[in-house]
Amino acid sequence: MELRSFIFRRLIQVVVIFFIIQTALFLLFRLAPGDPVERMVDPTMTPEDADRLVAVLGLDQPLWTQYAIYLRNFFQGEFGTSFYYGQPVVEIIWEKLPNTILLFTTSIILSALVGIALGKIAAWHKGSRTDTWLTIGSLVTHTVFLPWLALLLIWVFAYKLGWFPITGMISEDVWLDPGAGLWAKALDIGHHLVLPLSTLFLIHFGSSLLVMRSSMLDTLKEDYILTARAKGLTDKEVRNRHAARNAALPVVTGVGLGLAFSINGGALTETVFTWPGIGRELVFAVSHADYPLAQAAFLLIALVVLVANVIVDVLYAYLDPRIRY
Amino acid sequence: MDNGERFDTSRMKRSHWAAHFLEGWSVFIQNPLGKAGVGLLILFGLMAAASVIPPWIDPMYRPMTGVDPEIVRSVGPSLKHWLGTDFMGRDLFSQLLAGARIAFMVGVSAAFMTVVLGTAIGMTAGYMGRTVDTLLMRLADIIMVMPTLLFVLMLAALFGQLNIWTIVLIIGLFRWPGVSRVIRSQTLSLKQRPFIEAARVAGASHLRIIFRHIMPNVLPLSFLYMTFRVTSAITIEAALAFLGFGDPGTVSWGMMLQWVWKTGHMFKAPYWLLPPGICISLITLSFYMLGRAMDEVLDPRLRKEEDA
Amino acid sequence: MNARTAGTGNRNSEAEDLLEVEDLSVGYRTKRGFMRAVDGISFSLKKGRSLGLVGESGCGKTTVGMTLMGLLPPNGEVRGGRILFKGEDLVQKTEEEMQRLRWNEIAMIFQAAMNALNPVQRVEKQIAEAILTHAPDLPEEEALRRVEGLFQMVNLPGERMHDYPHQYSGGMKQRAIIAMALACNPDLIIADEPTTALDVIVQHQILEEIKALQDDLGISLIFISHDISIVADVSHDIGVMYAGQLVEYGSREEVFGDPRHYYTRALLASYPTLAGEKRDLVPIPGETPSLVAPPSGCRFCDRCDAAAEACSLERPDWLEISPTHRVLCARCLSS
Repeated sequence: MELRSFIFRRLIQVVVIFFIIQTALFLLFRLAPGDPVERMVDPTMTPEDADRLVAVLGLDQPLWTQYAIYLRNFFQGEFGTSFYYGQPVVEIIWEKLPNTILLFTTSIILSALVGIALGKIAAWHKGSRTDTWLTIGSLVTHTVFLPWLALLLIWVFAYKLGWFPITGMISEDVWLDPGAGLWAKALDIGHHLVLPLSTLFLIHFGSSLLVMRSSMLDTLKEDYILTARAKGLTDKEVRNRHAARNAALPVVTGVGLGLAFSINGGALTETVFTWPGIGRELVFAVSHADYPLAQAAFLLIALVVLVANVIVDVLYAYLDPRIRY
Repeated sequence: MDNGERFDTSRMKRSHWAAHFLEGWSVFIQNPLGKAGVGLLILFGLMAAASVIPPWIDPMYRPMTGVDPEIVRSVGPSLKHWLGTDFMGRDLFSQLLAGARIAFMVGVSAAFMTVVLGTAIGMTAGYMGRTVDTLLMRLADIIMVMPTLLFVLMLAALFGQLNIWTIVLIIGLFRWPGVSRVIRSQTLSLKQRPFIEAARVAGASHLRIIFRHIMPNVLPLSFLYMTFRVTSAITIEAALAFLGFGDPGTVSWGMMLQWVWKTGHMFKAPYWLLPPGICISLITLSFYMLGRAMDEVLDPRLRKEEDA
Repeated sequence: MNARTAGTGNRNSEAEDLLEVEDLSVGYRTKRGFMRAVDGISFSLKKGRSLGLVGESGCGKTTVGMTLMGLLPPNGEVRGGRILFKGEDLVQKTEEEMQRLRWNEIAMIFQAAMNALNPVQRVEKQIAEAILTHAPDLPEEEALRRVEGLFQMVNLPGERMHDYPHQYSGGMKQRAIIAMALACNPDLIIADEPTTALDVIVQHQILEEIKALQDDLGISLIFISHDISIVADVSHDIGVMYAGQLVEYGSREEVFGDPRHYYTRALLASYPTLAGEKRDLVPIPGETPSLVAPPSGCRFCDRCDAAAEACSLERPDWLEISPTHRVLCARCLSS
């Protein structure tokens, strides 16, 4: 199928881009001022352990060999040992990845869907009070400073009202209770998810709404909308079957372009809510000079963004046949 | 009639640019978003200008080093400290004013760098085409998927504390791809126009064509993108400061939030938590509104050009 | 008023009138005032006949088409007159009644160069949608089978119905649009510039097809175009429009053989031969008058070779040349 070759082409691009990012990161870590050995090897290790790690990472070799070793290590999942945790980096990262993906994907999908739905309403009632308030609302939430919004939500809904836990992803009492079933655990995570998710949702839905609104207004001027009306469709059918469907395409593009920006926000949100994801791990690693962990966390985040980009592109190609054929 | 007026203004050969600007300005200032944006920015500008006053009145109002010796903890607003003090007894109002200055400095200089870089690269890619175009745009693709904030964090880890100008520089280096894409496509459409062809036939050099014929036509767009880039630069700097990687020698709003958060005052001191957050959010909002209002001014012309 | 008597004056055939437009006035509310895009026009159309409306862009011919469909933009408004379709006044109908009527009884052929087909839906789906809207109980497979039949009628390969519009050539798109117009067996089809932007050969094929289909199916047709040679090719009757008014109306032979209005003559002069190469309308010097505050006299007099002083002052009256041929000009009898 055509779609399959499209996906294939995009995946190759992603592999190339990732390879370049990886190389850039390698050079940064090896060529930055200071001793790379100090950066990659935990100062508290015994000399024997340290020597072994230097050998594994190839830090005693010339740069080209180091690079080859670096690539090999990457494919073998060898990122060194975290200074702080004293644990292989890859284990820490794998453990956090699902948490980030949970928060990241739900917030992106939710904000895009709500943005599309509300943008449709705003455009259809252009100039009305609903339109004005939706537009102002999305301008304000779109530009509010994310960490501050997160703090405000914690202050009001967790601290003052006590509706949600202040931080974290799980409550120990639920998870340590042997009687708690899967459902109780899922509910517990959901409970913790509400505030971080709301933060990201509030930040993101506005841009989708504004894009949808203006794209819908443009689409309504298209000739095929006139055709649809001439066919005898009701206003609602015209709006939903022809206008909204086509107007949503730029929203998908916008979400794709905003992914890198979204992951920045994701890291900030994870940090404020101490949500155990890779973004928070990266911030944590940087503040604790845990270089191996920081490097791996960044690579993985870049990978998440790239893969999400491909998914968005494929979705776009699926929605717009003009791309596919 | 509309057309008649436009014709008249363009006949004032004296200053084509000024006429253009005035025409755009009158549309722009009628736009409610533009009006609100300009109003708010004037307010922030006044704040930034006023930031020199408190330290001049009394050294204890120095935003970073001045401490009220009578209070060495955070207390609420009073006559002496209009917004209260932080955990060391520093005046929050002076910090807020100083923050405005930093925000403008970071926002405008980073955005300026971004836009100069983005415009230059976009014009080059669009004008040269072929390999140059492909290479530059692939580079743009790669940088585009890099989360800027997190990358700056990585650099902070490698190079230690970054000073404010390094931060500005990195933001400038990382935010150009979006600008260059737009400028590139604008350049591509300009390249098809007869006047570029004419200039080439007349023997104008590439540089001359780029600077004399293409640049004036893409500058309004660059300017538009500059306002949006101010927004993202301010946000990135604030976020960086909030996470504790700001320039330790400057007081920015993000830094103020970092202090209120890290010292555990966020539930106790709304007088400290609210002002910096409101300021960051409002200044981004006002630049954003400015950009959207400009967009609406530029848009009809752009569309017409696309039709032609 | 003369226009009304002239409009109902076609009594050369015993076939009943499918459509009677009487003194129709339509306009748009604009910032500069109310723009009278269509100002008191009358004509009638019998079953199986075709009427060509011709005139420069902005003369109001498209507004006539949109008014008949009840598809005026929000700032559009019918300010007077009646549109009797099968004896019922369309102007009085509610939006819901119009929705039932659209496509089912009055369909439209849009210009294919426009984005008249939705780019992200398969062509078959768009045509089936028209059928299913007016026959909601019909199974979808049956609707798709009908689409296949329609494709045969307009000489499109049936397997192409699964494609998207961007996979079609201009001519194929135009055929698909014609197929769509036929989907509900309408009594009247309004074709608005259906061949503009197609190359000459395809244009010719499409015109032949429209003619043949119209004859075979006994559909009435209103053909709107700025190109008088095309209108002459497909229409039994011709109405020439200028600045919102009908200025000459008659059978094809009468209008072409014995053009009376100076505007009609100017139009004809700009096309050397009817079958000849299509070329652009040679601009007639002068500008169309403002439709917000139209002049009281003849609207063409500023550009008319034969204009006398009185022309710009007095409102011209209809002159009946023959029972089927009339012209809105005070000085035309002399020729």
